[in-house]
Amino acid sequence: MEKLKLKIIQPQKIFLELEVDDVIIPGRDGDFGVFYGHTPFISVIRPGVLEIYNNNELTKYALHDGYVTVENNLITILCEVIESADQIDKSRAELALERAEKRIKSNQSDIDFRRAENALKRAVARITIS
Amino acid sequence: MGNIRDIKTRIDSIRNTRQITNAMKMVASAKLRKAQKGIINARPYADNINRMLATIKFKTKETHQKIFIQPKSDAKTALVVVTADRGLCGSFNSFVIKAAIQYMNDHPKTDLFCIGKKGFDIFKKKDVKMIKSYTGLFNEMNFNVSIEIANDLKQHFFMNKYDHIEVIYNEFKNIMQQNVIHKQVLPIPDVEELEGVSLLDFLYEPDEDEVIEELTNKYINVEIWRILLESSAAEQAARMTAMDNATDNATDLIESLTLNYNMVRQAAITNEIIEIASGAEAQNQ
Repeated sequence: MEKLKLKIIQPQKIFLELEVDDVIIPGRDGDFGVFYGHTPFISVIRPGVLEIYNNNELTKYALHDGYVTVENNLITILCEVIESADQIDKSRAELALERAEKRIKSNQSDIDFRRAENALKRAVARITIS
Repeated sequence: MGNIRDIKTRIDSIRNTRQITNAMKMVASAKLRKAQKGIINARPYADNINRMLATIKFKTKETHQKIFIQPKSDAKTALVVVTADRGLCGSFNSFVIKAAIQYMNDHPKTDLFCIGKKGFDIFKKKDVKMIKSYTGLFNEMNFNVSIEIANDLKQHFFMNKYDHIEVIYNEFKNIMQQNVIHKQVLPIPDVEELEGVSLLDFLYEPDEDEVIEELTNKYINVEIWRILLESSAAEQAARMTAMDNATDNATDLIESLTLNYNMVRQAAITNEIIEIASGAEAQNQ
């Protein structure tokens, strides 16, 4: 199988640069897979789990924001925050999850709903991979 | 000629000063290296965003997006002035402040956002409308700081309080040279060169507007981050040069004072010898 190039860039550094078989990306409207020969494409990312498959090996990252472009079999992910499993403090993520759930359930009009929802998604992504 | 003890005290105190300026130069050069590294590391990210924005703009000739519509001549401006938190860095702060005052004189409908303590200290005494100030952020530079500033600017811009956002800051050219740069951050300035623009037909998900919104978000964050890094590198370079000059001047001063000191000492000794000799002469007679 032909390989895709994957580049994950952060403002402070290039987080990752390698060749992969395929990638599952958490898009704003749902997860999608990118295989070799994908059409040129740009999508906004929602907080979620990024799955990278290479030689039947799966690596997962918690991806928090940003966007992804696909062109000529090069996947470029630009994000401000991305974490690998060993960088995550699970108990902290669980606390954050609880907090976010409470916030959304409280249903008060003064909370920033979108922000709470994003916090919830981030916490879920962190817990899933840790 | 002066008193011999006074000269000695002066030499000692200048020597102390020289030690401090020399140490400051060393610290500045270490910090400069760090800031330079940050600039280089931020480049791939910033380049990618700029390229994508240029691509989208190129494809969508007709646009209702506020970030692509250039302001009219008498527009309301938010001016971001980036100075340092500390002094002792030559003309670094004063040039930026001068440029900002000049701009505000030419464009009366300007409100101020102030980054850095030096600028804040000056402008709080002046009759200008300062919306917000950020001080003490150059000590511990991290990306979250730029997000905070960018969010404030975005909010003001998209609530139509301002038609455009301008930044005046020092650009790091090389160690000897810092340039005062005046740049429009929002709306996104027209780029002439279309080099690197991708001509592929991209699919947008969820849709073009949301993609542009996310890109704009990221663009401002990284633009502010880049400006902070540039300014920080320029500040450290300016301080390095200033402190290097100060150290050299102190060395020159010490040299000439030491010469003076030796002359005074020599004169005193000669005087004493003359006294002794003439005393002995008087007894012989």
